[in-house]
Amino acid sequence: MKKTIQIPLGSQHISLLEPIRFKFECENEKIIGVDADVGFVHRGVELACTRSFEFKQVGYVVARVCGLCAITHTLSYTLAAEKLLGYEANDRIKYLRMLMVELDRIHSHMLCLAHTAENAGFEALFMQIMGDRELIMEVQEAISGNRIQFDYISIGGVNRDLTSELSALIRKNLGLLAEKIDTLIGLFDNNWSLSLRYKGVGVLSLEDAYTYNALGPLARAAGLATDVRAETSDFPYEEIGYKMILESTGDIHARNFVRLREIVNSIEICRNIIENLPVGEIQEKAKGKPNGEAVIRVEAPRGELFYLVRGSGQNMLDRVRIKTPTFSAIPAMMEVFKGSEYADAPAILASFDPCMSCTAK
Amino acid sequence: MRKIETTLPALLNEIGAFYLPKEWHFLSVNGIDLGGGKIELQWIFSRYGVKDEIVIYYALSDYETAVPSIVSLIPSAIMGEREIVDMFGLKVDGAQRGLYLDPDSLPHPLRGES
Repeated sequence: MKKTIQIPLGSQHISLLEPIRFKFECENEKIIGVDADVGFVHRGVELACTRSFEFKQVGYVVARVCGLCAITHTLSYTLAAEKLLGYEANDRIKYLRMLMVELDRIHSHMLCLAHTAENAGFEALFMQIMGDRELIMEVQEAISGNRIQFDYISIGGVNRDLTSELSALIRKNLGLLAEKIDTLIGLFDNNWSLSLRYKGVGVLSLEDAYTYNALGPLARAAGLATDVRAETSDFPYEEIGYKMILESTGDIHARNFVRLREIVNSIEICRNIIENLPVGEIQEKAKGKPNGEAVIRVEAPRGELFYLVRGSGQNMLDRVRIKTPTFSAIPAMMEVFKGSEYADAPAILASFDPCMSCTAK
Repeated sequence: MRKIETTLPALLNEIGAFYLPKEWHFLSVNGIDLGGGKIELQWIFSRYGVKDEIVIYYALSDYETAVPSIVSLIPSAIMGEREIVDMFGLKVDGAQRGLYLDPDSLPHPLRGES
């Protein structure tokens, strides 16, 4: 019988942005088993949404689930609450909400790519991507007032309109970013530290993607054609240039390329929104109190974000269920680790773009 | 959204007959406290490549009855099953407590009387 050793990674580790603990069982350098502990930052958000806050306040509470994808949390809850109130937003509101979600996707993907570069020992590229990401952070701050945890979306609309000055800033920064992304695509494809290092490493097969219900860039990199933007009709994504991005090899390289190509597509979507923004109010009355049960899915940067909201005509809700992308992706992640080299574990983990703040909520 | 009522004893058979991994995406296990020691349990699915198609299997139960695990059919359900063990204090075959909660945490924070 071969001798195995157990090696922990986390909860605090140089390669981790947030606390998660893996316990790897290794045979020499190869991982043959893995266990994960994800609950280090549980804050009881679901409980707070039904016991401490009224339904009109909950959109601002769920924005605190995650700093990076706060906009998709608020959007998911708001859509569910609006469904229960029998309200549907006008086209201008829908376009402004889509704009913020796509900007969020761009900066979140760039953060992941930066860390993937850092894990390849390419620290200069990490700094470069983080610097380029500021182009989007600047735009988000100008639109919403915040760099993160944007309280931009509310029941019945959005809290700020897009002025002509803001539109000009968005056009300028998206133009600058588009050039930089072209350079990044070349680097991730041709630079040996990035392409050779990551091709064939951390592979999730298409079969395993189905078996373990993978989602978001993790699934699309394995060739699984799933994206909530194509599977819901809450937003008119087809008319503003959305395309599903698929790769087939399922390795870190493929995940990098799904994200890079999605950034390109999101830039195009944002430009189309700015050029075709419908006329209308940005705040409308959504009267009444939530009654019934609504489910909402939104494609967050890491994949499908799911909300189930139930109310019984009171100010306090009966249930707010939040299911985040990383939470669902943990079983697929654990499968990818098995058979990999232990030395690749930090890079594989970074390529999943895990968000533990979302997961533990 | 389509809701299909089931019972805990029939759950495995019903989901086993319904679930095709390449057709349906398993979304979540959910619990909703109904008061009076009752709970509604939900198993939620969406269809790949089809707009707005959500199917929810649901069963009404109390907190003492053990909930069958669907991990043999859907391995990724383990996360959701562990979550309802923590949050509602339910017994689910093979799912351990401690995904989110520490030994000194509230025992089942999402139960009505907690």
